[in-house]
Amino acid sequence: MNDFLSLLPLIVICTGAILLMLLAAFEKSRLETAAHLSMGIFAVAFLVQLLVGGGPATAAYSDVFNGMLVVSDFTSAAGLIILACGFFTAMTSHSYFKVNLFCSLEFYAVMMFGACGMLLLTLSQELMTSFIALEIMSLAIYILVGYDRANVKGAEAVLKYLMLGAFAGAFFTMGSALIYGGVKSTKFIDIGTYCLSHSATSPLLLGGVFFIIVGLLFKAAAFPFHAWVIDVYDGASTPVTGFMATALKTAIFTVFANLLAQSSGLHGTWVTFLFYVSVFTMFGGNLIAIGQSNLKRMLAASGIVHSGYLLIALVAINTEQFTGSVIAYYLAAYAAGTLGMFAALAYLGGSGERRSTFDDFKGLAKVRPYSAAAITVFLLSMAGIPPTAGFMGKFYIITSAISAGEITLAVLGIVSSILSMWYYLRLVINMYFHDAVENFETDGSCFATAGTFFLAACVFILGVYPIVM
Amino acid sequence: MFEYALSFMIFLPILAGISILALPIGNKAARFSGGVVAMIVLLIGIELFLGFQGSGAMEFVENRAWVESLGIRYGLGVDGISLLVLMAGSVLFPMVFCILSIREKGFYGNLLITQGAMIGAICATDLILFYIFWEIMLLPIFFMIGIYGGPNRLPATLKITLYTISGSLLMLAGLVYVGVAHHEQFGFWTFDIIQLSSLELGGGYAVLAFFMMMIAFAIKIPLFPFHTWLPDAYTEAPNATTFVLSAIMAKIGVYGVIRFVVPVFELELARFAVLLSFAGVVGMIYCGLAAIAQKDLKRMLAFSSASHMGIIALGVFCMNTQALTGSLFQIAAHATSTGILFLFIGLMEERLQTREIAELGGIAYRAPIFATFFAIAMLASMGLPGTSGFIGEFLIILGAIKFSGFIGFLAGTSLIIGVCYMLWMFQRVFFEKPKEQTDKFQDLSLTEALTFLPVILLILAMGIFPQPFLKRIEPTVQQHIAAATNTAPNALASTARPRTSTPNYQKN
Repeated sequence: MNDFLSLLPLIVICTGAILLMLLAAFEKSRLETAAHLSMGIFAVAFLVQLLVGGGPATAAYSDVFNGMLVVSDFTSAAGLIILACGFFTAMTSHSYFKVNLFCSLEFYAVMMFGACGMLLLTLSQELMTSFIALEIMSLAIYILVGYDRANVKGAEAVLKYLMLGAFAGAFFTMGSALIYGGVKSTKFIDIGTYCLSHSATSPLLLGGVFFIIVGLLFKAAAFPFHAWVIDVYDGASTPVTGFMATALKTAIFTVFANLLAQSSGLHGTWVTFLFYVSVFTMFGGNLIAIGQSNLKRMLAASGIVHSGYLLIALVAINTEQFTGSVIAYYLAAYAAGTLGMFAALAYLGGSGERRSTFDDFKGLAKVRPYSAAAITVFLLSMAGIPPTAGFMGKFYIITSAISAGEITLAVLGIVSSILSMWYYLRLVINMYFHDAVENFETDGSCFATAGTFFLAACVFILGVYPIVM
Repeated sequence: MFEYALSFMIFLPILAGISILALPIGNKAARFSGGVVAMIVLLIGIELFLGFQGSGAMEFVENRAWVESLGIRYGLGVDGISLLVLMAGSVLFPMVFCILSIREKGFYGNLLITQGAMIGAICATDLILFYIFWEIMLLPIFFMIGIYGGPNRLPATLKITLYTISGSLLMLAGLVYVGVAHHEQFGFWTFDIIQLSSLELGGGYAVLAFFMMMIAFAIKIPLFPFHTWLPDAYTEAPNATTFVLSAIMAKIGVYGVIRFVVPVFELELARFAVLLSFAGVVGMIYCGLAAIAQKDLKRMLAFSSASHMGIIALGVFCMNTQALTGSLFQIAAHATSTGILFLFIGLMEERLQTREIAELGGIAYRAPIFATFFAIAMLASMGLPGTSGFIGEFLIILGAIKFSGFIGFLAGTSLIIGVCYMLWMFQRVFFEKPKEQTDKFQDLSLTEALTFLPVILLILAMGIFPQPFLKRIEPTVQQHIAAATNTAPNALASTARPRTSTPNYQKN
């Protein structure tokens, strides 16, 4: 019974998605209804997750479904982040599709299926479940990225993402097969025990874990598997980009942390590799971001940089007392800032996303001071300036890195955030220090606007009350 | 009655500032309400000053748990070290609202947020809380220079922002290192400054962390060679912002060194004290010489301010009671004198539309009150006996000579340079023949004169009766120095560990 209780949020979302799919069959149903409905379902699932996850029945690392899934405070926090991302994406989409008319009802259903996959991924404790969840999630995202069939950029994006994503999936299966060959089990916990009793550097295990890590790094857009992310983020429609950038990353890093936290043998073998990946991810991402003139491309590149920070947290994982709080908090902080940014872009971009470069946003503060202030808050949070959530997130990551003895990594993380000021502040400067060239009229619904301001408030609330810690 | 006074002083201006920015009110209403808020803060500040016991310990303490898992607390308090800096932060702000006429509500909003964050940084006893206020303080400055500044404001803004933000992120790494080191030595997390002073640091990483913290503060002070942002930022910033930057923000840099670097990194500071004091001395002589060469009045004053900050910083690095007391006294003295000099230049610029020294002349004949007030502030800045500047500089040089005769001698020369450029400037601007522009220069109006008068009187009072100020600082300074050098048992040292090697600054 407990098992089903802890899966309740997943069940709610799944049922909701099927209901929406059925609703789409009726000609009379309207797009707005679907948006409202999906917002409602996400909200209900969020509340369910909040009630179920916080209960005393679920101790850290209690196993569900015969060890196939795991429910802990960490997975429940990740679930909350994903559901909140879904809610705000539905909210943003409502406004976005008022002016961009390529949407159909199934959009919301597909998005919820994607969220299903993500939730399952956070819970998974075993390689096959992870693979299934990964594919459920990826298929939904492929569809969402290419949703605007008339858009050439979108078509290019989905092609790139599909091809490379299929490779990543293949790597993941290959890795699972090798590990099964070595360990005779696909459960994370068995891999961990095997590492402790045998050598973690046995060829099968080494190769298998390498392939799995490559698959996950690809999905997380870490160096050197980051090249797709710029075009894909740019080609997808703004709400989808926001969803990918936040919820997907949350799911991937949760399962990544769950895998690594299983044993010090496994973590110890890969820590040097992850160290270099994280350094290159941060600095590579920064170099790409500095060169961008399009905001979505800049945000995609900055997403790479944030993956780098999250990798620092993975390097610094304490396998004995793993709570995942540092990672969960950073993900929540990052999600609030990034989603807010994309929500603002969704309603300020206008039809066909015509306002999308740094120059287009010149003088925004003169015309729409509140929107400019909200965007500034998100940018400051991403850059890690107090008292925002982004600062607290970086602070926890740096603290955990120094505690783990990775002082070099902590310092490099800080240097990278100094570099990132360059492109975050550039937008602030454009918004505030120039005269307005446009009047930024918007004709969508006010949902995205409301979402933006709510998220701006969240950035502060998370910063002042670091709930997850 | 003082239970929440500090929180009130911090959050009243911040909330008022945010409301001014967010609410649709007019510019005049914004200026008026901003002025009222600044006055309220001033009154609380005076109340605190009078109610201050001078026991040497933290007073008006507020201490609440915040992020328990990392031992971060919401800790505020005032002792002799922070008292005068706090006073500078509360006394000077109302003047800005009364005198200068940037007629934009956004400016007043940003100004209030700066004030609140500054007071927060001054009162914080938790390193993380200090860091948070320190960062909040920088953002409004960025907007004030970037939106309301002079014609070359963009490069100046970028320069100051990149400098200060790189500095503060380095500081973040340094203070996280300190927190982690404490966790390793004592087994629990804390960022409380009194707890941290009992840390036993050492080794390469400690030196690295020390320099990270020092660079952050050096940028803010600004200490040679991190001063290059200063002339541009001071020149391009609107006058009120220059005033805030020079009068208070630079002081918080020195204050940060005294409050956080001295007790935690005492070994490292002892190792590098000579190097740092040379940076201070070189900075003060170099900036003093640069000030002589300036043609723009505000730029000249910017360099002069940097030169004086070098003296104040030197006082800290000498690490004896005289020098440190002198530094703290000089912080307040310099804040008042230089602060109002910048305001005077602002007034001059509003009336004449120029700051070129060559285009000015003969103002003393047209505006005697203005000239008198200016002269008093200038003499204080030069360190003339009887004014506030004398006491501080005297104590610092006394301490510096104790520390090292050569450095004391060099510090003395910088005073002579100061006299040169100030008097020469005064002669060119206020005497000589009135030029076409200065011929119709209007003297201070009654309101303006009344606004400046209390500060002018304060300058004289601090020069003639320094005792009420010194007696509030000294007990804390003695404890602080004793704790850092561990020469005498005291409240701080009683919690400290036995030391293996004791640096002895006093005999150097």
